[in-house]
Amino acid sequence: MSVLAVEALVAGYGAAEEILKGASLHVEPGEIVSIIGPNGAGKSTFLKAVAGLLQPRAGTIRFAGTDVTRRDPQGRARAGISFVPQERNVFGSLTVAENLEISGYLDPAGAQGRAARLYERYPVLAEKRHALARTLSGGQRQILAMAMGLMTEPKLMLLDEPTAGLSPKAADDLFDAVVNLNRGGLPILMVEQHAVEALAVSTRGYVFVAGRESAEGAGPALASDPEIRRLFLGG
Amino acid sequence: MSVLLQAILNGVMTGTLIAVPAIGFTAIFAVLRYPSFAIAAYVTVGGFAGWFANSLWGAGVLPALAIAFLVAGAAGVATEEGALRRLRPAGALTVAIATIAANLILENVTRFLFGNDLRGYDLPLRPDLRFADLRIGPQQIENVLLAILVMAAVFAFLRFTRYGKAMRAVADNIDLARLKGIDPQRVAVTTLFLGAGLAGVGGVLLAVDTSIDPLAGARILLTVFAAAVLGGLGSIPGAVVGAFAVGIAEELSLLAVPATYRSAIGFAAILLMLTFRPRGILGERAS
Ligand SMILES: Nc1ncnc2c1ncn2[C@@H]1O[C@H](COP(=O)(O)OP(=O)(O)OP(=O)(O)O)[C@@H](O)[C@H]1O
Ligand SMILES: [Mg+2]
Repeated sequence: MSVLAVEALVAGYGAAEEILKGASLHVEPGEIVSIIGPNGAGKSTFLKAVAGLLQPRAGTIRFAGTDVTRRDPQGRARAGISFVPQERNVFGSLTVAENLEISGYLDPAGAQGRAARLYERYPVLAEKRHALARTLSGGQRQILAMAMGLMTEPKLMLLDEPTAGLSPKAADDLFDAVVNLNRGGLPILMVEQHAVEALAVSTRGYVFVAGRESAEGAGPALASDPEIRRLFLGG
Repeated sequence: MSVLLQAILNGVMTGTLIAVPAIGFTAIFAVLRYPSFAIAAYVTVGGFAGWFANSLWGAGVLPALAIAFLVAGAAGVATEEGALRRLRPAGALTVAIATIAANLILENVTRFLFGNDLRGYDLPLRPDLRFADLRIGPQQIENVLLAILVMAAVFAFLRFTRYGKAMRAVADNIDLARLKGIDPQRVAVTTLFLGAGLAGVGGVLLAVDTSIDPLAGARILLTVFAAAVLGGLGSIPGAVVGAFAVGIAEELSLLAVPATYRSAIGFAAILLMLTFRPRGILGERAS
């Protein structure tokens, strides 16, 4: 059974025109799946719709076999979907420790132990424990955002451009962190601008154009497809 | 010199009393994103609830505060759930205007129930204390201590409890809070209860200091609003700082201009702040 199976999703913001025009995608257990595509293709919108921040107008979202299309974001978080947005993905006015703690809101009993393990895995967070999140560097903030996403012990992780704005070194570290998470069995669906690097670590990839998927394939195969290289990978 | 000191002392005491409803106002703004002018009515409702308990059951200041907190908090939640909530999709301005209407309705309900007279709490009279040339009532000192206690409780609640942190998370970023499983509607209701309840506590402190009547809240509304704007709308420490600033400025103004112009200070503070530093002393956002 697919972890995530999205069929013909149609969604937009308010009364404005549709952004997603029948997008379909699936994530299988243990996979890393990347979505690449030009700016404005609707990649972020797709993840928002899967996380429940956007109510779709048509289509279905099944998570681990259950239809969650009509659930609110809290309900989907409870079911095990964890979404790390592209922007504003930490609570800037809260400390690092408070950010982790509040991210364990659904399971306060287990939150402390999980935070302790995350401090161990990401020592920079332990160092900055009492700093306000808005004072973190870009790389530290992305690590915090991802750690916050892990506080709910998710069954699926959605990452929107986790390496945006990072130095090449910090971006590499972050990809390593993503791969490490996935080795533990956590399925990951991520949107990335660094398409080559993302596809290289992905089981499969999708190319989104104008609100729906236009190509799908194994990560490395997609990265070496001449047509796709020409269109999206700058070569 | 001592006139000046006395004015500052009075200002500090006014400031502490104003700070409590100002915290309520700014907390509601931080989470629900609209200015609730009904805060004036919650002050009045709390003042009367405390007065009722005091004159009927001989409740002292502490139980009167507790009752005022509960009754005003309930009034706040009822107003939100009964009317304001449905207007939220229409935008902050619509809800803000509706809070003015709610304020008038609640004010007139208290007028209908208790009449227009000024009501005083029945508390033992004690002579003023004197320090050199300064005069201060023992009840005033007690009020200041109570206000500080209430503020400390609010800060502890926000800093150390799960619910307080959820409240700060929603105020910071509502979508991210939902992604973490926090229900913003529940947080909104809690915030309203807390915010309106604090206004009610302010009402009792005010009534114990002077008296209570249906317009008591309306009279301090501008000062409360000015304190919150001055400190930065949505910032709780800001509301406290703003309350002291406005309180002291108002008392100092009495040395220079007739008492009828006192409320002009609030206006002036708001205008100056919005002109030169729209986000307020401790505010983070411009909007
Ligand atoms: N909150 C919003 N309200 C209205 N329109 C929006 C909103 N967010 C995005 N859009 C519009 O939806 C379209 C798709 O945006 P989206 O953010 O999903 O693209 P994307 O593929 O993630 O692009 P990028 O690579 O720039 O992140 C864009 O035209 C954008 O202007
Ligand atoms: Mg995007």
